Amino acid sequence: MMNTKYLSIAQINNYIKVMFDENIHLKKVYLKGEISNFKRHTTGHLYLTLKDDNSRISAIMFRSSASTLTFTPQDGMNVLVEGRISVYPMGGTYQIYIDKMEQDGLGNLYIKFEELKRKLQMEGLFAQSHKRPIPKYPKRIGIVTAPTGAAIRDILSTIKRRFPVCETILFPALVQGVSASPSVAKQIEVANKYDIDLLIVGRGGGSIEDLWAFNEEIVARAIYNSRVPVISAVGHEVDFTIADYVADLRAPTPTGAAEMAVPTILEVKNDLKTIEIKCLNAINSKIENLKHKLKQQKENYILKNPTVLYDIKAQKLINIEDSLNKNIMKKLETSKLALEKYQTNYLLNNPQKILELKKSDLEKLTESLYNAQKYYLEKKENNIEMIIQTLKLLNPLNILDKGYSLVKKDDKIIKDIADVKENDNLNIILSKGKLNVIVKEKIYEK
Amino acid sequence: MKNSEKTFESALEELEVIVKDLESGNIALEEAMNKYTTAMNLIKLCQDKLDKATKKVNKILTENNELVDFEVSESEDNGESAG
Repeated sequence: MMNTKYLSIAQINNYIKVMFDENIHLKKVYLKGEISNFKRHTTGHLYLTLKDDNSRISAIMFRSSASTLTFTPQDGMNVLVEGRISVYPMGGTYQIYIDKMEQDGLGNLYIKFEELKRKLQMEGLFAQSHKRPIPKYPKRIGIVTAPTGAAIRDILSTIKRRFPVCETILFPALVQGVSASPSVAKQIEVANKYDIDLLIVGRGGGSIEDLWAFNEEIVARAIYNSRVPVISAVGHEVDFTIADYVADLRAPTPTGAAEMAVPTILEVKNDLKTIEIKCLNAINSKIENLKHKLKQQKENYILKNPTVLYDIKAQKLINIEDSLNKNIMKKLETSKLALEKYQTNYLLNNPQKILELKKSDLEKLTESLYNAQKYYLEKKENNIEMIIQTLKLLNPLNILDKGYSLVKKDDKIIKDIADVKENDNLNIILSKGKLNVIVKEKIYEK
Repeated sequence: MKNSEKTFESALEELEVIVKDLESGNIALEEAMNKYTTAMNLIKLCQDKLDKATKKVNKILTENNELVDFEVSESEDNGESAG
């Protein structure tokens, strides 16, 4: 073994490394496996083992690549990776250096998507009746997307090109990774507090996982609850997300959203021209209409022949005059006749006769007055005689003549023995005088 | 509201109402003429605003809840992998 050349470990490992690195099949490999021994180093690099039923391979994902992950890798997770195979000379191990890693089982994502879609549809989140109208000429547009990247650039440049009178407010949101959906939902809520009349929510194109935030329930509900109408603009034409179903309008791309959101200046100028023409037509037809009416009035028979109007009136006047004359004459005749009657009246022509008639009336009245008075006086005398007779009959003293007497005490007539006590002084009135007596004894009768 | 204070959008809204009124034909001639004059002024106002329209400043809401001017960085594109 004298001449045998011995290599250092480093030398052989480096040789093997070169062999690997130069192999075209190992420069880009696609592996499918399950994660185990997952570790995240403080530097941000990820260390893990990929395994399947029969084999395993070490793997590393550097921080720069790991930062693009849309999910948090865990042991037991099935993944699809893309990377290159190389050798770590210090350890003498080969491993895969992962550039991209996705969760395997996109079928599961599809099922999740369909389940959420069905649920929200049942709840009415996609209902046409809930869609708010998109303003034709928005004044200020809110945009919820990432502050960098093609989406915001496309939206802003499109708005600027088409309708520079419109203002925009960007509500920056994470649009990728696990924090994306809460971030987007929150910014939709925040945007609703601002004076905007339209909201564009979206992001540029990417893989289905990249766009996944827009398939999350929290984003769907934020869009549904938005006061401001929402245009969704997620990914490319072919990408349909839950957000698209909930939004008031779905745009195929961010550029498309901006085009739907604002008209072009030219369109607006055309609209203005149309309005001008409409106004002009309306006012012209109004005037034509009135002119026509005026013409119709002018052609009215009476207006065209004013003497007709006059003739009728004149005829009427003559008629009235005639009947007036007739009536006056008649009245005059009647009055004349009445007057003549009075003129020929006998009495009016002989006033002495009237005086005689009145004198005779007066004599008759005087006589009847005398008779009435005489009769009245006689009747009164008779009455007085009758009253005297009645009074005579009723005089109580006449009763005393018949043997009755009155008992008085203190000038009051006693009617009840209870009013008298023994030894009382009493007066007894008799027919021709009175007795003063003292009561000796009271005897009650039953 | 004076025309000078009117926004482009409110002017357009007003125009739409006027057109509807005029086309209904139910208004008196004098009122129609007044509305027509107003409409022509509004159209002129809108056209002026469009002609004078320069780029409006774009704003961004910062983490401190402030609205500040916003320009898209043209060079970098690190927000989205495939954006």
